[in-house]
Amino acid sequence: MKNNDQRSSLFWLVIGLAIALYSRKYGLGTFSTPGPGFLPFVSGAAMALLALVVFFQQFPKSQGETLKSLWAHTKWPTVLMVMGSLVLYAVFLRLLGFLLDTFVLTAFLLRVMEPLSWKKVLAGATGATLGSYAIFELWLEAQLPAGFLGF
Amino acid sequence: MEILANVMLGFQVALQPANLFFCFMGVLIGTLVGVLPGLGPVAAMSLLLPTTFHLSPVSAIIMLSGIYYGAMYGGSTTSILVNIPGEAASVITCLDGYQMARKGRAGAALGIAAFGSFIAGTLSIVGLMLLAPLLAEVALKFGPPEYFSLMLLGLVIVTFLAGSSMPKALLMAAFGLFLGLIGMDIMTATPRFTFGMYFLMDGVGLVPVVMGLFGVSEVLLNVESKLERQIFVTKIKGLLPNRKDWRDSAWPIIRGSVIGFFLGILPGGGAVISSFVSYGVEKKLSRHPEKFGSGVIEGVAGPESANNAAAGGAFIPLLTLGIPANAVMAMLLGALTIYGMQPGPMLIKQHPDLFWGVVTSMYIGNIMLLVLNLPLIGIWVKILKIPYEVLFPLILLFCLIGVFSLNNNVGEIGLMLFFGGVGYFLKKFNYEAAPLVLAMVLGPMMENALRQSLIMANGSAAIFFTRPISLGVALLVLALLILPMLPWVKKKREVIAEIIE
Repeated sequence: MKNNDQRSSLFWLVIGLAIALYSRKYGLGTFSTPGPGFLPFVSGAAMALLALVVFFQQFPKSQGETLKSLWAHTKWPTVLMVMGSLVLYAVFLRLLGFLLDTFVLTAFLLRVMEPLSWKKVLAGATGATLGSYAIFELWLEAQLPAGFLGF
Repeated sequence: MEILANVMLGFQVALQPANLFFCFMGVLIGTLVGVLPGLGPVAAMSLLLPTTFHLSPVSAIIMLSGIYYGAMYGGSTTSILVNIPGEAASVITCLDGYQMARKGRAGAALGIAAFGSFIAGTLSIVGLMLLAPLLAEVALKFGPPEYFSLMLLGLVIVTFLAGSSMPKALLMAAFGLFLGLIGMDIMTATPRFTFGMYFLMDGVGLVPVVMGLFGVSEVLLNVESKLERQIFVTKIKGLLPNRKDWRDSAWPIIRGSVIGFFLGILPGGGAVISSFVSYGVEKKLSRHPEKFGSGVIEGVAGPESANNAAAGGAFIPLLTLGIPANAVMAMLLGALTIYGMQPGPMLIKQHPDLFWGVVTSMYIGNIMLLVLNLPLIGIWVKILKIPYEVLFPLILLFCLIGVFSLNNNVGEIGLMLFFGGVGYFLKKFNYEAAPLVLAMVLGPMMENALRQSLIMANGSAAIFFTRPISLGVALLVLALLILPMLPWVKKKREVIAEIIE
């Protein structure tokens, strides 16, 4: 494996094949009366085929960038922390309720990149939480979840 | 004069206080997201889509459209002042706009960008008014085979015009097609690829996908790189271009408008490509091409006009055929369907208030933008100075709540985060998300058209090649797929890709 186009194309090859194979379960039908699995099968097969094209197109080039180079000079741990906090936010939304969950998330996000002072973080998180609550719950009546504490 | 009566009807709708208000909100929010790098019109529209459910469809579409062309205005401000395009369509404006700012002519650059955008926006609306009803008449004759071929053509054009690699773009389109097919199959009521997740029964939601791909992933890329933004601190004086500026810009604005309008109709990144084409044309026609890049006003006037005209042209395929030309129009299509309107050739006839109201509101919106932009540039500059550490939690928060409030479903947040991750990796590995979104929207429509065509023809696929329009379109599709393999076209495409880089 020489460069990132080839690496990513192998990934898509697997996904495409998986889609095409799984589609058969839904029934491909015939060409004159396509079944529910027909077009998913075609799209999966097309993905696999195109992935092969991308893979072999890259062959003349002997060397390319490495996987590592994509993350060189980046602050990738920050990405993981942000993504992780968002997932946790979704998991705990129903349990903690909108206000508490949102406050914790914004406070965390405000600290994660370039630490602001705690005073600013608390003020910002409070402001963002109450502000978004006012817009979405009070004005747009979005029915945000209340948590186990009842708010 | 039927058209006059229609325009009058349009103004009656657009000038209602509520619609004026939402038009204003649209262009204001649009300019704002245009100014803010890392938040584009697609993400902003998907963010605000849930909030429009309380509005009348006309008000909602007026506001959503305002966001789109407003963003084209706003994008130029950051290109000129900060050398960072707020919008992909303003990339080329950086070249001469920023140089003008460094020479102390930021005011004239911002001014001509605003005036050029206004003139181009106006011209393209006139074009839209004249062309759309005609095209809708023609489109009435289209049957499912024509629609199927046209949608296929749309997808192929998008991938043909995509940045560097056509196979990669096609791959994204195929993946998008698959995503569009997830959920209950209409004909047989078979749930496809739902894996027991109930919220997938209705299909993969467009809003969570778009917000993930264009909102969350953008934030992730920004927090890891932390853009250094240096705002060019200068007193912006004299926003009005002088007489020489006008003389130099008049033709570029007109040429840019025409280029933008017609390229905008084509599927794909009409606004982006037309701004590049306009810049290229002006450089070719100029008596002093060597000065381009050192701060000539033509290099700002042409592309900025072109991207605004393209924003108008892009409405044509959606409003006449019901086929979206780009990701923004796909959002609008989604919105229209949610409001229970079927975009297509009958839209203008069935909902004249919608079509003419929205089109005339664009005219009013363009005036608002002109009035808004010139005096408010100081405020936009201040907003640019908000540090990203403070901004990105707010963007993420809005994405989270926006997606959740769609159906009060945590699963959709999960879907958005998943596609946020997908979008992050796609950008890392240089895949374009736009063909994916477009194909995802077209997926169910294509499946329907395919099945209807085959029923019409008693199962013979020959129907796509025996009807003249469908055959013509099919040949075009084939040509576009083969062309990039020819050596000289390949070379040209590589050159274009390099310029865009």
